[in-house]
Amino acid sequence: MNTTPVIQTIKLNKFYHDPVEFQALKNINISINQGEFVSIVGASGSGKSTLLYVLSTLDSDYEGEILLDNEALHNKTTEELAALRNEKIGFVFQFHYLLPEFTVIENVAMPALKLNKYSKTEIFEHAYQKLNLLGLSDQANKKANKLSGGQQQRVAIARALINNPKIIMGDEPTGNLDSKNSNLVYDIFRELNKDFQQTFLVVTHDMHFAEKSDRIITLHDGEIIKV
Amino acid sequence: MAFEKSPIILIAIRHLLSKKRQTIVAMLGVTFGIAIFIFQGGLMTGFQSTFIDQTINTSANIRIYNEAKMDRPSVLSKVDSLKHKWIVIRNQKPKDDLPKIKNIYGILSILEKDKNIEGISPFLGSQVIFKLGMAQYSGRAVGVDIMKENVLFNVEKNNLQGSIIKLQTIPNGIILGEGLADQIGAKLNDNIIIISPAGVTLEMKVVGINRTGITELDKSRAYINIRNAQKLLQVDNAYITDINIKLKDIDKAEVLARYYEKKFGYRAMDWKEANTNIFGIFNIQNMITYLIIVSILIVSGFGIFNILMMIIYEKMPDIAILKAVGYRDKDIIQIFLLESMIIGIFGGLLGLLMGFAMQKIVGSIRMNVKGFVSLEYLKFNSSPYFFMFAYFFALLVTAVAGYIPAKKAAKTDAIDILRSK
Repeated sequence: MNTTPVIQTIKLNKFYHDPVEFQALKNINISINQGEFVSIVGASGSGKSTLLYVLSTLDSDYEGEILLDNEALHNKTTEELAALRNEKIGFVFQFHYLLPEFTVIENVAMPALKLNKYSKTEIFEHAYQKLNLLGLSDQANKKANKLSGGQQQRVAIARALINNPKIIMGDEPTGNLDSKNSNLVYDIFRELNKDFQQTFLVVTHDMHFAEKSDRIITLHDGEIIKV
Repeated sequence: MAFEKSPIILIAIRHLLSKKRQTIVAMLGVTFGIAIFIFQGGLMTGFQSTFIDQTINTSANIRIYNEAKMDRPSVLSKVDSLKHKWIVIRNQKPKDDLPKIKNIYGILSILEKDKNIEGISPFLGSQVIFKLGMAQYSGRAVGVDIMKENVLFNVEKNNLQGSIIKLQTIPNGIILGEGLADQIGAKLNDNIIIISPAGVTLEMKVVGINRTGITELDKSRAYINIRNAQKLLQVDNAYITDINIKLKDIDKAEVLARYYEKKFGYRAMDWKEANTNIFGIFNIQNMITYLIIVSILIVSGFGIFNILMMIIYEKMPDIAILKAVGYRDKDIIQIFLLESMIIGIFGGLLGLLMGFAMQKIVGSIRMNVKGFVSLEYLKFNSSPYFFMFAYFFALLVTAVAGYIPAKKAAKTDAIDILRSK
């Protein structure tokens, strides 16, 4: 397996100042390699979500440095970060966050339309391929809100894949699903990992899910206690 | 094509379509705002320009006359050796002088050679009492050379009955204003009597009835020929009090008035100066109208503001995910600004049409307004510039009303919404 780090942190610290001074992340040094499937676990309030959002570039209020695909992030503007996020990171959240006015395939295409690297036809071809990969090609032209919860989460995964990101970040991606759909999501992640060396970094409190990943990072009070 | 690929346009349109009713309400807000702008503002400015046209048509571009000065410096003050001395003269009386223009023929011949001038009409006016049977009415008889007067004021066009040329051909002809004829019940070819303050009585024959559209003028003025006016005042046949001038270029009036004043030593008043108080009223009127219109458009602006805030609150999760997948703050602002501009553009266009229709409909109703001026139909300002201005202004309001919520939308804290709870 390839061992270039996709994302790497150097002495990452994060403080909250409001309502009281509080250190949410303490001296985090982690490195996720290409093709790894990593889970972050920890009790609630341990800082696992905070870590994920700092790594996702959505939260740029931290100390230390993050290297995404060997690119330092700390001094980038929010615009540059948005562009990086668009190209290199896919997201799967607890909820699907599909846009209800749009069809399934339009939702999948949304990040690619922003990236604007391919023609519209190509983008929709790619979107269709991703949907096909997730077994949803027959739902492509339905409105997103007409699908079941499990299907919607799969559409969200297809959307995360559309720009062929370096890494897919998940924030409790199975948190809102029943065990059958949870297993399905895991299986999809695993397959994508195996077939396309897709890197995953998933925050979860679902130990079932975590145990099946390549590596578990455990956080406690903002510190890594186990890698 | 970049346009149809742009997800921003796509998202904006979908948002509006998903809220059809509110979108239409917000659009109608702009529509009514613009329609009222065009109707009300068009009525006001249309009325004003009609009024100005009529005023210009009935008042001379420049009028030269002998102004009665209240403050006459003493002859002694002209003596050099007394310059820095106190001079007290008690019971100084103004010289009993007539307001005639001396050397009238000299002045006229100079003016006739002036290339700036299109027409000159000397005249002589007198207060008179018009009398027909029992009916008496006081007004003003103006002695003119009717053909010259016609060049200046289109007398012939305004003539309702009779013919103006008879003022020259019949020695005792008179042309009455429409209102004046009504007052004394005079008809064409009636004989009426006019009596001057000097006690001269003339019997005149009505050869024309005239309407300028300025009510006050039509109610009080009659044209006679200069000779008869001189008879009424018992003066010689070189006696003229005023010279009215029509210029080729009306905008030169002010400059030329000053020039003639210097040259001839008589007061020369241009048309703007003569109508200062009217333009003053117009300014206040315009201010009030535009304040009303601006407040209407601000209300429609609030309509847009409102619907956008509603959409934004509802679409917080959508905004958050768009930001997460790489849409910049700028993109988010564009989405919502575009939504408000779509409302403004279409609502505004509809408003232009509606305002235009309102103008046409109301403008075709016969009103017969008799006020300061008399109008058969209301006149509207329907110049394309006026419509463009209205539209531009509406778009400006829309843009401001859209920008504030759009800015707020861009500030949405994505993490706060997306983070698992």
